[in-house]
Amino acid sequence: MTTELIDAAKTEGVRHTAGQSRSPMAKLGKRLLTALPLILLGIWTFVPFIVAISVSFKSKIETFANLGLRPQDPSIAAYQEVLTDPNFLSAFANSAIVGAGVAVLTVIIGLPAAYAFARFKFRGRHLLLLFTLLPRLVPSIGILVPIYRLAVATNMLDRRISLIFVYAGTLVPLAVWLMVGFFQQIPREIEEAADVDGANLWARLRYIVMPLAAPALITIAVLAFREAWNEFTLVLVLTTTPATRTLPFALFKMGQSEGISNFPAEAAFAVLTVLPFILVYTRIERYVVAGLTSGSGK
Amino acid sequence: MTVTQEQTTGPETPPNKPALSGAQIGQSRATPYLFSFPAIFVVSAVLAFPVLYGIWQSLYRAPELGLDEEFVGGLNYVDMFRDPDFWSSLYRTGIFVTGCLVVGTSLGLLFAFALYRSMGRLRWMRAATLAPYLISNVAAAVMFRLLFNSELGLINTTLDFFGFDGPSWLSSTTWAMAVVIFTQVWTDIPLTILLLLGGLMTIDQSYLDAALVDGASAWQRARYLTIPLLAPQLVISTVWLSYSTLTGLGVVLALTGGGPTGSTTTMAMEMYNVAFRALRFNQALALATFILILNAVLTLAYVRVARKYEIEL
Repeated sequence: MTTELIDAAKTEGVRHTAGQSRSPMAKLGKRLLTALPLILLGIWTFVPFIVAISVSFKSKIETFANLGLRPQDPSIAAYQEVLTDPNFLSAFANSAIVGAGVAVLTVIIGLPAAYAFARFKFRGRHLLLLFTLLPRLVPSIGILVPIYRLAVATNMLDRRISLIFVYAGTLVPLAVWLMVGFFQQIPREIEEAADVDGANLWARLRYIVMPLAAPALITIAVLAFREAWNEFTLVLVLTTTPATRTLPFALFKMGQSEGISNFPAEAAFAVLTVLPFILVYTRIERYVVAGLTSGSGK
Repeated sequence: MTVTQEQTTGPETPPNKPALSGAQIGQSRATPYLFSFPAIFVVSAVLAFPVLYGIWQSLYRAPELGLDEEFVGGLNYVDMFRDPDFWSSLYRTGIFVTGCLVVGTSLGLLFAFALYRSMGRLRWMRAATLAPYLISNVAAAVMFRLLFNSELGLINTTLDFFGFDGPSWLSSTTWAMAVVIFTQVWTDIPLTILLLLGGLMTIDQSYLDAALVDGASAWQRARYLTIPLLAPQLVISTVWLSYSTLTGLGVVLALTGGGPTGSTTTMAMEMYNVAFRALRFNQALALATFILILNAVLTLAYVRVARKYEIEL
């Protein structure tokens, strides 16, 4: 009843406002006003990528001669240069290894802890809040110097395993927090029923909890991989040789060492860094968005 | 192995075991401790311990590079507060954080509104806006160095087209900070947009319908309805942005390295310089502790605000 009234009033109101702007010019203006922010968003998001892609297909000379976005003589020389650069290849391998290591370690460590926090009543439960707040209390800028000194003291500098361990440490709180929320949504009754049927804790975890939590696990693995793939300041202080450097550090090194900037190669490097991740991301975007927004306070 | 065994023998065992209540669903009393121990250990080792170690070490100092460190109490802090570089970096951090907040929040609101209005049709657009979140600070810095290059960058070419003479952005002591703010906002804005968009989608449509019936203009609806209803998300995104910019080092370091002539040296950058360029690690730890305290105050404010709006942490 009331909704019908409102609907009627709404169409009335729409007619009313439409009456104010009858001329086609005003209509066009109104449309433009709604479209403009979207266009702006598109420009804002994509132009930096487009510029980098455009430069990556130019030659070194053309970057200075042709300022337009479309390369006159598109060449893949920059990509060849980067793809045959041993620094890029080893950094790519390191990023992949560290990324995979962090994703696996974060899930392996985070999953049981989240299950304990979500399902058990025990003395450590009040730690959960502190646990989730800790990464905010301790940004990476706060651990940069201490971690470096500890790594030097324990002879763990310049090792991939140190990177994996440190990244996992920074990510486990987020992982636990995401998973606790997820586990709490799984009805206890399912597990209790399985318990009656004789399934022990491992069976329940393996056959009930993990399959149901798969979206959360995927989200966490992706976020963990992203962090390892992109993180820059910790890898900068924790590694000293190309043998352990990840992609961001290698790209940074490249920008530092060139006399005259080799823009096409830098751009190609950046594109090659971004590309694999975007390809992975587009397949699982909805999980990641859901995972990111579910926690950020509705 | 045990799992499959359990599966096959499961139904044969008589159901004389009472159904466990949710509270004691586990195997033994030790289970929750065993389960949570690895996580607590790793997090303590990577986050908690280094911070405490850093604070403790900030009370020491080597009389000269290479000599043993001696306990000096608060001397590093006294020196820090006496150092004009500290105060200028604090000032620049203020500009940087404020700039990022103003630009980031206004653009974030604009884009969130735009996406909200076009929802249904342009779902891919929401996914695409996350792109800057997926790339490293260094890659972003490379892109923006190209964009803002004084001779061949798109920004100055465009300005030139309209008859303006663009500045040499990154080598200008006044404009470099603007570029850094711009780049930082670009990398941080996806989460702001997601947060605000999430808030917009939870707003009850009937409020807006009622306002429409009462003849409120689009601007009035935004100003008196949507934005006040969006307050929790605005607060969260503000606090999150200030956290990210106050402690952010990657963008500044990769884009300008603090230059030209220190004009973009924020506190985080100053700390990096003191530690890894001047190799005065203990002095840098005093700076790090200062940043941590500032950040802790911010985080506590966040918790209070979140409680006030009854946001689940």
